[in-house]
Amino acid sequence: MRKINAIVFTVLALIFVLPVAATAVFSFRANGEFSLQGYADLLFDCFVFYPMFWNSVLYAAVITLVQLLVIIPCAFGFSQARFKGRGALFVFYIVLMMMPLQVTILPNYVGLRDMGLIDHPLGIILPMIFSPFGVVVMHQYMKNIDNSVIEALRLETNSIFRVMITGVIPQIRVCIFAVVLFVFADCWNMVEQPMLFLKDDGLKTLSVFITNAQEYTGEVLFPAAVIFLVPVLILYLFFNENLEKGLTLGELS
Amino acid sequence: MKKRLKWNTKCKLCLVPSLLGTAVFFVVPFLRVLYYSLIDNQFRRNFVWFGNYIETLQNKYFLLALKNSLLIILIAVPILVVLALAISLGFSYGIKWVRKTRFAFVLPMVIPTASIVLIWRSVFTDSSTALPIYLLFIWKNIGICVVLLTAAFTSIEKSVFEAARLDGANSFILHTKITIPMIAPTVFFTVLLSIVNSFKIFKESYLFYGTNYPPDHSYTLQYYMNNNFLKLDYQSLATSAVLTSILVFVIVMAGIFIQRRFDR
Repeated sequence: MRKINAIVFTVLALIFVLPVAATAVFSFRANGEFSLQGYADLLFDCFVFYPMFWNSVLYAAVITLVQLLVIIPCAFGFSQARFKGRGALFVFYIVLMMMPLQVTILPNYVGLRDMGLIDHPLGIILPMIFSPFGVVVMHQYMKNIDNSVIEALRLETNSIFRVMITGVIPQIRVCIFAVVLFVFADCWNMVEQPMLFLKDDGLKTLSVFITNAQEYTGEVLFPAAVIFLVPVLILYLFFNENLEKGLTLGELS
Repeated sequence: MKKRLKWNTKCKLCLVPSLLGTAVFFVVPFLRVLYYSLIDNQFRRNFVWFGNYIETLQNKYFLLALKNSLLIILIAVPILVVLALAISLGFSYGIKWVRKTRFAFVLPMVIPTASIVLIWRSVFTDSSTALPIYLLFIWKNIGICVVLLTAAFTSIEKSVFEAARLDGANSFILHTKITIPMIAPTVFFTVLLSIVNSFKIFKESYLFYGTNYPPDHSYTLQYYMNNNFLKLDYQSLATSAVLTSILVFVIVMAGIFIQRRFDR
């Protein structure tokens, strides 16, 4: 029974890794044999590739970092503040989190257009900073932290920032790692926003480069796909152990 | 008392940046979208009230898109959740080797879609069914389901099991009285999340077909909206965005309501 279990899981696991592995294998092939030609073409001849790669890095990094500065205080506020309508407000965040992009993208577009941020990097960055996912996850996690630490710190200091930095952040480290991985991967995976909010090619991301596949020869596509998934893969290797502990989303509200 | 009050005010202030951003980028523009859905066009701006809604609900493409979106919920979501349940059971109660395979199931969650559709396109050349999209949906979403369910299984304290076993409970009773009630809320949440994520499959589908007009069986609500976006048809777009948001709102609220009944 144990052996059967192990075999079934191994086979299933291989099936799930296969698409990634096959992408990697295809990237080293040209005309049916092993070759680095694709990588050479991409890295030495394809000049649009570099700005797009760095745009992807810039957007994802800025969004992830600034988002942390917004959602940690917000989740802390949700778990500490007492006011009427707090529960309803949190349910609103859950509903917003569940909304598909196709619903939120039109309001985003309308808002950005009025502010003159269409075709501007901030048009990509700002709405993503306020994505509600992190607030919901962190608030759920903070329900289980040790409140006595916070109480004790409050006797010492009146500064809410000191309480947060010395009392809360060390306790929610695991959750922060999980959220960083999730948010970064989400930003890295953006396709619709750069396509709809940006017109200037110099501002677009690597996902758009790969999406406009037909414009380039087949040789550079698989190498580009591989390079595109390396940054998230590295982040995944570092942080994936935190996912189960960090994302406690069973109970709603 | 005064200090307590002050602390509470400070905590409320912590919410402000997030609330402000949400209001500016989501809530206020959404109200404008709501307004767009009630007028005849951008220039004349006459109120037609539910005229756009009636038109949309009779639109053949909207109905096709709605049907396909519901089909994914009925077919792909149950398969996804059952598979995820089986895998997380293996992780929680299986041998060490089984737990090591976790890496493979969670990985797809972070892999960018644009990278992976290339291989999908070279494998699934037959586009007469929506099968490739369903498989892509399951492949991409199994990770988050497995993570949530495994967390639920491992949070059941071993001591509860031991105590029940000492009281003479057999394994059938153990699972029906302890395991199932304890993981039920998470299973429920996973189903809810997967339904909502099935609405988000547009990106995968769009990149796979590489066109705004996929075969009929894969024309989902998001295509309908995206195409209206490109046509800059604000009225249809606003109307279908509002309709979809109502649908998601109802699903989520029903979920929260059922879960609260469950807890009692």
